[in-house]
Amino acid sequence: MILEVEGLTKQFGGLAAVSDLKFNVIEGEILGLIGPNGAGKSTVFNLLTGVITPTKGKVSYKGKNITGKRQHEVAKLGIGRTFQLNPLFPNFTVLQNVVASFQLRPSSGFSDTFFNTKKYRDHEKHIQEQSLEILKMVGLYKVRNELANSQPHGYQKMLGIARALAVKPDLLLLDEPIAGMNPDEIDNTLEVIQKTQASGVSIVLVEHNMRIMELCNRVVVINFGQKIAEGTPKEIRENKEVVRAYLGGAYDTER
Amino acid sequence: MSNERISTNISSWNRNYQFIIYAALIVVLALIPVFISSPFIIHICILTLVYIIATTSLRLVMTSGQFPLAHAAFMGIGAYSSAMLSKYWGWSPWLTIPIGAILAMGLGVFIGFPFSKLRTFYYAMVSVFFGAGIVQVIVAFGKYTGGSGGLAGIPTLFGAASKIPYFYFFLALAVVSVLIMYRLEFSRFGLNLKAIDQSYLVAGSIGINEARNRVIVLGIGCFFAGLAGAAYSAYNMGISPTNIDMTATLWLVLYVVVGGMGNFAGPIIGTIFLYMVPQFYRGLKEYTPFLTAALLFIVIFFIPKGIVSLPKLIWQKLKGRKTKREISQ
Amino acid sequence: MTSLSLILTTGVNSIILSSMYILLALGFAFLFSIMGILNFAHGVIYMVSAFLCLKFTLLLGMNPWLALVCTVIIVAIFGVLLERFIFRRFYGDMNGTIVACLGIIAVLQNSVVITEGYVVEKIPEFAHGFMRIGAFSVSWERIVTLLVGVILLVLVLLFINRTKQGQQMQAIAQDTEGAIFQGISIHGIAALACIIAFSLAAVSGSLMGSYLSFSPYMGDNITMKILQILVLGGIGSINGILYAGLILGTLDASLPIFVNAAAAQAIVLFVIVVILLFRPKGLFGREV
Repeated sequence: MILEVEGLTKQFGGLAAVSDLKFNVIEGEILGLIGPNGAGKSTVFNLLTGVITPTKGKVSYKGKNITGKRQHEVAKLGIGRTFQLNPLFPNFTVLQNVVASFQLRPSSGFSDTFFNTKKYRDHEKHIQEQSLEILKMVGLYKVRNELANSQPHGYQKMLGIARALAVKPDLLLLDEPIAGMNPDEIDNTLEVIQKTQASGVSIVLVEHNMRIMELCNRVVVINFGQKIAEGTPKEIRENKEVVRAYLGGAYDTER
Repeated sequence: MSNERISTNISSWNRNYQFIIYAALIVVLALIPVFISSPFIIHICILTLVYIIATTSLRLVMTSGQFPLAHAAFMGIGAYSSAMLSKYWGWSPWLTIPIGAILAMGLGVFIGFPFSKLRTFYYAMVSVFFGAGIVQVIVAFGKYTGGSGGLAGIPTLFGAASKIPYFYFFLALAVVSVLIMYRLEFSRFGLNLKAIDQSYLVAGSIGINEARNRVIVLGIGCFFAGLAGAAYSAYNMGISPTNIDMTATLWLVLYVVVGGMGNFAGPIIGTIFLYMVPQFYRGLKEYTPFLTAALLFIVIFFIPKGIVSLPKLIWQKLKGRKTKREISQ
Repeated sequence: MTSLSLILTTGVNSIILSSMYILLALGFAFLFSIMGILNFAHGVIYMVSAFLCLKFTLLLGMNPWLALVCTVIIVAIFGVLLERFIFRRFYGDMNGTIVACLGIIAVLQNSVVITEGYVVEKIPEFAHGFMRIGAFSVSWERIVTLLVGVILLVLVLLFINRTKQGQQMQAIAQDTEGAIFQGISIHGIAALACIIAFSLAAVSGSLMGSYLSFSPYMGDNITMKILQILVLGGIGSINGILYAGLILGTLDASLPIFVNAAAAQAIVLFVIVVILLFRPKGLFGREV
């Protein structure tokens, strides 16, 4: 188990956005987290990565309790994520976005940074090389020197993934990675996700789009902040409760 | 292909361009006392150097998305503590100046922690009030600080005979300070600051400790503000609250914004343009502020990104005209 | 002075200061919430009004009340011009607004300094003599200032809450796009708000010029006060302005009895800082 979540609850005033949620992520798998709009999926991510703190519950990562740890601490432990609305560093180029994200491994101390020592310069060179590798893998190498916010939407989302990969995560949380992409971009993204899993990274995916479910090893379905089903993609597709939850919501069974 | 040099400016042509400007500037400045003997002009140059240290450090903090609208007050902390230590306790200004800078830095770090929780607008407002509070405290303890009239009789570094040693002192101080800040800006630290500014959410998700970085940069900014203030008080042999009040801070912000916030050289150019240039029109006497205001309006109406963006603006206008000609043929 | 008359005098001063602060802060809030203008030059407008009123009564020998009316008209027109030619250009651009305001401040302050010199003066009074009740005496001047301030404040509040235009203003302040959809004419209301805001500053300036002594730089303090009131009370809340204005006006009138003026200011400022650190939105604030 790379991630264990128990009793996770978040109250905003009287409203429970997430309520007593329990699920696990097996090391090396792709876990899908699906549910209709407003089910609380992004909130779960925010709770896991320290953007907001849980009202109740426990989150364990690789056996260590990380409940309530702050964003940068969570990132240091090896959890990377993308965001639904995909904020980036708009005034940096595509390449700079990824280079900037290489905070952690390797990371230079303050005096090395300031005095521009050989160690620092070697680190930076290494970081550049790795950034270019990542960009090649996700297919953004060609536009590496363009400003991030001048890129089309699909490219920006891919950049978000590239950025998260720079953290060298062991657990990657992807929040709606293919929303708003055209079919070619979707194919590309799915390929990237598979390659990433093959390199040993565990992944949790939040999505509406059913096609992504096929990639997942297991799926957890939530609605109104609570888990309503769990199982393999096949089991979920045939689950009547899940289908009922989606009727009337923004749901895409095509593709 | 794999050894591309990354710079945090958009084009590396920009960086070489800047380096040449700096080198030329330093050489020219170092030669000034050789050619110009007017103490008044030397004085203006010294003050410009002081403001350059202050505005460059202000901008450094601003790159992290913080608007420390109390910068002049921190200059005041450095100035007054250095002045009082050397005047009342007889310590040498060579010692009290760094102490003043460190005290200013300490106070900056102290408030940096609670302030780091605030976002842009609220941060700005709280800094405004904090800075004003500092000034009022200084005035309130008039018995020691000379109150609103100011403190005089501050011991100096080189005596009162000639301004020339001061000029080289401030030149050296400014060059070293600017170099340090330059190094910080174009290192990974500077990259982190700009990341925090653009999206604190993403910055956190990649492991940047937002609060710690913000406090560090505020401490650095306040250090240089205190340094500039302390050195100034030892040169001027006096310091008064009008040098460090809210209006003073706003003018520092002005120099940065008009010069161009997006560029390291912006504050330097802004200071020269808005502070130094009007001084040479002293003949206008009391009409000088009108000249400054006119310069201000010209810049913000026509060159919104600051003076530093002027070459690019002209280049684009020329390019635009060329294409128009091509189309019309 | 006996302690009773001290309390009464302080009370009178508190009300005067509070009402003036509130009027100025309301004007500023109008400009901000309805037109999106952060008018850092509001204090300077106040100072210029005081200056104009002074000039009209001294140089032209006008009746002070007539001078006040003239000042208000001139300042209101000037405000509309400012908005049309300068503020509109920098709508949404915080840096540009600050720089533009500083330019305006520099020009206006300097004009006054040149015409006036650095001499501080008082404006001839709006009313003469003293009112006496037992051992307590207060100048009619103060009473008049107090009455005008309070009456004006009540009028403004009534306007905001009871008239059609006032409610339209509230609608715009809370949700500009929604207001447009409801068919409210933005330009007309905005112009009205602008006129009211500058007029309030003009009246405050003219009255206060006779209460405090005049200096070309007194606008800076007032702008600072306005910011304190707005941030303490909370952006977007009229109640906030009322309470914050009352608190600050009372503090400014009473603290200087115990400590020197600068210390009083320092105390107020640091207390505000601490409050904001715990409640950044201010006492009643909702959102920016």
